[in-house]
Amino acid sequence: MSLLDRRVRGFRLVDLIAAGLLVVLILGVYLAKTMAGRERSEIARAERGIAEEKARIRLLQAEVAHLEEPARLERLSQAYLGLASLPIKHDVTPEALYDAARASQAATPPSAPAPAQPQAPVPATKPQ
Amino acid sequence: MSLGLQGLGADALSRWLGRAMWRLEHAFERARASDKPEDDTRLRIFFVAALFAAGFLALAIGATHAALFSDVGREDAALVGAEAARADLVDRNGELLAADLLHYGLYVDPREIWDEGETRRALLAALPELTPERLSRALRAGRRSFLMGGLTPEVRARIFDLGLPGVTFEPEARRVYPLGSTAAHLIGFVDGGGQGLAGAEAAFNDGIHDASRDNHPVPLSIDLRIQAAAEAELAKQVAKFQPRGAVALVVDVHSGEILALANWPTFNPNNPGGASDDARLNRAAASIYEMGSTFKGFTVAAGLDSGVATPSTTFDARQPFQLGYRTIHDYHATHKVLTLVEVFQHSSNIGTAKLAQAMGPQRLERYFKAFGLTQPAKVELLESARPLSPRVWDDDAMASTSFGHGMNVSPLAVARAYVGLTNGGKLIPLTIRRLPPGTKADGPQIVSPRTSETLLQIMRANVTGGSGKSANVSGLNVGGKTGTGDKYDPVARAYSHTKQVSSFAAVFPTDGPLEAKRYFVMVLMDEPHPDETGADPTGGIAAAPAVGRIVERIAPFLGVRRRMDTAPFTEVAPSPQDSGEEH
Repeated sequence: MSLLDRRVRGFRLVDLIAAGLLVVLILGVYLAKTMAGRERSEIARAERGIAEEKARIRLLQAEVAHLEEPARLERLSQAYLGLASLPIKHDVTPEALYDAARASQAATPPSAPAPAQPQAPVPATKPQ
Repeated sequence: MSLGLQGLGADALSRWLGRAMWRLEHAFERARASDKPEDDTRLRIFFVAALFAAGFLALAIGATHAALFSDVGREDAALVGAEAARADLVDRNGELLAADLLHYGLYVDPREIWDEGETRRALLAALPELTPERLSRALRAGRRSFLMGGLTPEVRARIFDLGLPGVTFEPEARRVYPLGSTAAHLIGFVDGGGQGLAGAEAAFNDGIHDASRDNHPVPLSIDLRIQAAAEAELAKQVAKFQPRGAVALVVDVHSGEILALANWPTFNPNNPGGASDDARLNRAAASIYEMGSTFKGFTVAAGLDSGVATPSTTFDARQPFQLGYRTIHDYHATHKVLTLVEVFQHSSNIGTAKLAQAMGPQRLERYFKAFGLTQPAKVELLESARPLSPRVWDDDAMASTSFGHGMNVSPLAVARAYVGLTNGGKLIPLTIRRLPPGTKADGPQIVSPRTSETLLQIMRANVTGGSGKSANVSGLNVGGKTGTGDKYDPVARAYSHTKQVSSFAAVFPTDGPLEAKRYFVMVLMDEPHPDETGADPTGGIAAAPAVGRIVERIAPFLGVRRRMDTAPFTEVAPSPQDSGEEH
């Protein structure tokens, strides 16, 4: 008796196997859909969280930009720290430091002997 | 009987199903008995079952794909869309200038409200800017209606926590300018629908929408540090001279990038409707002025380039000069014969008009056209104004335009012409878009490189020994030209002696080869008033000092190092009046 002709409780075995496979297939699709739906909602929740975080980050970036507005920083640094823009004459490269030092030295008056005491004023006299 | 009907139950349906299956089973035997394999029902059933299996398999694959990979119904789609309507605007260093931020619109549906009084009280308390009249209108609407937009997430959460029925929210993108009024005229603003109306927002409207899809910011040419320095120094000058309006510009002469564009008065682009038209006016691009003596740079450049004059060519400025219908005087008459350099340094109207006469009106017109002074400044800004230029270039027109009268141009047009004259002679477009570092824009050759070099030195001579002394910064070799143009009074139908436009157009550093880094800086004051000294607020007094301070502040940002001061041409002995120039 071939496998195709075997019967179980009057039903052919092959029919029962096919019916079983069909049930498994339906269950499989159902389970896959259910599990995927759950995963999907998890992913959506995570993505929503990411989007909200991104929105918060952008909000914070905008707030940082607002707080770092140059005019505001200048006002605050002047009011509380007494800072001011650096004059260009204070700008020097490391390579030019030596020249700047020499120039500064040259600009300083050399240590000279103590100035002579002014002599007693000579009373103006009319020419003789 | 092997079917076992007892197991199927006793009801009629079960019995019918059992009999049907029994008949089906015996169909195989009947087919075999009749010896007709083609009628074998098993074969048919096999095909039908195979078709069903294939159908289910296809459905399974489709369902799995739809479940795992489809975008339909994603809950955050609206959120992302709302946020990405317009791309961010950033400065050339990536500092944020404008951004779409997620806000919420508040909607009210009176049909779902249980206690109108409570809803009214709660909303008015939570939203101080909401007027009772507006709320009443929404509550009487009889349907869901928009109540208020622009709620921040914090405000939305606060109202949401009140748990008011019938009160709902919808996400919306809102354009925010975190720097307030900083660079407001250059950045511009948008309407409620997210379409650019002014500045870069309007100029790059489509590009900003496109960039938002790629989630890329749109970089502008300005440098926030330079912009801040220009605005700060302009504000100081405005406080001192109380003008009607003021402009400051910084432009890279090789790329044409506008590094700073400041206007006064200014406005907050977060609330453009709250500002006056005057405050929203971008004077740098949309206003045109008779510039006065800053035009002498153009006349001198034309004279040099055409070969009509050299720096040492002399002009007799001892007597007023009659040209066309005009008698031309010098503001601070020298009563001397002046070289071309001295004409520039003393800003001699007589000398400049004589130079123009030597060129002839047609040649002057050709040069002014080549310098771009008869067309709107070429820049992306839609506000760029069309100039007013003489219809007929005769002696009268030539006399006036040679020293900046009879032609109204925008500060950007002046900037573009000077950029062309100081970058080696190429008229390049100005741009508010960031270009790759080291870009050298190309354009038509308007003067020779030699003319460009000579003009740089003459401009420098004007700062070392002419009307632009107050713009000098030791070590940065600033060159420039002052300008003071009397304004035309339409009531008096004559030029006013009290209303003027004072400006200083500068370039730095003027030394080094033509390809070296070089920047154009301009400050313009519209109708400045005398300061506490009572001095006439000419370009040399009201604008040049601000240019000097701007140059000193921005040089480190631009990588311009200190160098040996140059003093080209023979320095003339400055006279006490040389702090200004003629009208």
